[in-house]
Amino acid sequence: MDFSAFSSQFLVGLSRAMILFVVCGGLSFVLGVLRVPNIAHGSLYMIGAFATFTFSKLIGGSAGFWIALILAPLLVALVSLIAERGLFCHLYQREHLMLLLFTFAVSLILGDLVKIVWGAEYRSVSPPTLLKGSLSIFGASLPRYNLFLLIIGPLVAIALWLFTNKTKIGKISRAAAVDREMVGVLGINVSWVFAIAFVIGCYLAGVGGALVAPTASIIIGMDHSLIIEAFLIVTIGGLGNMWGALVGSLIFGVTQSLGVLIWPQFAIVFPYMAVVIVLLLRPKGLLKSVW
Amino acid sequence: MKRIVAMNSLTLITAFLATLLILVPFDASAQKPIKVGVIDTYTGPAAVFANDALNGFKLALDEINKKGVLGSKIEFTTRDDKWKVDLGMSVAKELVMREEVDLIVGTINSAVTLAISDYMKSEKVPFIVWISKSEHITGSKGHRYVFSTGENTAMAGKAGGVALAKKPYIKYWIAGDDYEYGHAIADAIWRNLKALKPSVEKMGETWWKTGEPDLIPYFTSVIGAKPDAFIVCGGGMTMANSLKACKTTGIHEKIPVFMHTATDHAVLKPLGLEAPEGVMGTMDYHFYYPETTANKAFVKAFQDAYGAPPGFPAFHGYITAHFIAEAFRKAGAIDKEKFINALEGMVIDSPGGKIEMRACDHQAVLPFYLGVTKKVPQYNFLISGDIVTLAGKDVMPSCEEIMKARGK
Repeated sequence: MDFSAFSSQFLVGLSRAMILFVVCGGLSFVLGVLRVPNIAHGSLYMIGAFATFTFSKLIGGSAGFWIALILAPLLVALVSLIAERGLFCHLYQREHLMLLLFTFAVSLILGDLVKIVWGAEYRSVSPPTLLKGSLSIFGASLPRYNLFLLIIGPLVAIALWLFTNKTKIGKISRAAAVDREMVGVLGINVSWVFAIAFVIGCYLAGVGGALVAPTASIIIGMDHSLIIEAFLIVTIGGLGNMWGALVGSLIFGVTQSLGVLIWPQFAIVFPYMAVVIVLLLRPKGLLKSVW
Repeated sequence: MKRIVAMNSLTLITAFLATLLILVPFDASAQKPIKVGVIDTYTGPAAVFANDALNGFKLALDEINKKGVLGSKIEFTTRDDKWKVDLGMSVAKELVMREEVDLIVGTINSAVTLAISDYMKSEKVPFIVWISKSEHITGSKGHRYVFSTGENTAMAGKAGGVALAKKPYIKYWIAGDDYEYGHAIADAIWRNLKALKPSVEKMGETWWKTGEPDLIPYFTSVIGAKPDAFIVCGGGMTMANSLKACKTTGIHEKIPVFMHTATDHAVLKPLGLEAPEGVMGTMDYHFYYPETTANKAFVKAFQDAYGAPPGFPAFHGYITAHFIAEAFRKAGAIDKEKFINALEGMVIDSPGGKIEMRACDHQAVLPFYLGVTKKVPQYNFLISGDIVTLAGKDVMPSCEEIMKARGK
């Protein structure tokens, strides 16, 4: 194994971790503020990917992808707002098992809706011209699109940090995560705080879906493969902890891509082994869980 | 006298009623349609293939029912197995027991297929498989009641082995879906390639979980290993993702890539002109090849009916219906055993030329088209170009090998 192969594999793993982080950041945020283990998060990610396909096809050309990258997550946010106001907001007080079943049901409904709207065929989005092809970094070849992901990931992390730490609504939602009764007692309309937090979390699922669109085929069922990984990531990172989601994603993405290099026949085992090791050593996750 | 008349009329009425009783069931059997149960996966990613097969089947039935079969029609009813073995089994039982179907067709999931096949053997009801590709269906686990109108992993593997043996590559890297289908294709390709060209060597293998969306990390690691050629084995979704990963990493420009169904239209179409050129693949049907009148007529009829050209499942569904109709005509009665006897060794005309249902293993003898993904001016998607046809008999395991696999 030479150094260039190793570094290329490492960078590809990092970029994959960035997509995971964007999705898991949203999932973790919803888990933290609303205490809802949202299985439908994966479906929203899928809707984001399908919407990216539609928008980029409608608009066409290289601009198509960039505009879709903005519009598709907004569509997902709209869907999640309707779901939140119509369904979720009545159920926050229920126990976790109920919520788990409920969000699972929502994910099945959304999955079927996607099938009705977009059909069962494979869809594909091509990366914009600017991001096609590969670059050579330290002798390692890295697809340009993956480099773009490496830039987007930290930007999303910074934006989320600014939101939760510098804006009023962000601060309230953090407070609500710690003690929601207290926030209500202070005269803040918790219901709307929850709605906004939920929509932001789901918006991130949409962004993840839009970002993944040029790297894989878009197909019904992509939600289920992602949601399992996403829950593992937020669990090893610490439930509801944003930075935990980042750490978890990095562990998952990098162990997966390096596993391919070290022992390709058993590559799938590596990220799950990492999860097991983390949970054995720190059952509540690496960083502080808000639960 | 009066009594005799009364007696006579009574006898007449009884005789009339008796005649009715005898005639009615006869009459009903003449009008009784041939009932076909269709079981397939109409939910999830596999639905795209299952619907295509069903459309091909329906198109053929429309043609067949105009003329009729044994003075009757072929009717069908569908059931969704949702890719689940238990559900597939329960709908198979329902179709056999409640619907009393004359035969069952369908199934894309090999695990479902093998389970249903076992049940059909015990119930003595014919079962024609049209997409599932496990070689065990008509190979080691084959029996009198199961048939296949689709290609299987042994055939596809042999086609791959025959194709690659002619190339100058020595060092290979093999990758694919970590489930039965991926491994079966990989094993069959390697077994045949190694037998035809003993100098080849396997540098390594990579297996990812089925449905893995992002294959880029796997592909970049293969670029680093620098093999002479790269073989990818997996289902339709993996083919689509692999082609995307080829384009993104540019691996196919450095290392020749063989993916057994890379040239499938269902895989190439979504990528449009963005699909990578020069990736090798094999298929048993293309709507643009062979360029015969029969194929053109089939494609036109299909396109008019469903607004898209037929894929390989549609072709399998179409020939399945024609095999059924011809076998019942030849059998001369709606009888399961006679139907099987008639179907064994039957040859039909199809859009892909003459196709035989081999008697020894109940496997349709299908040709394989080896080609490379290629841009052509008339389409806004890539097609399989520079096609070399591998005859069905050259890519099939021999009857002796089948009997050996069945332990006979």
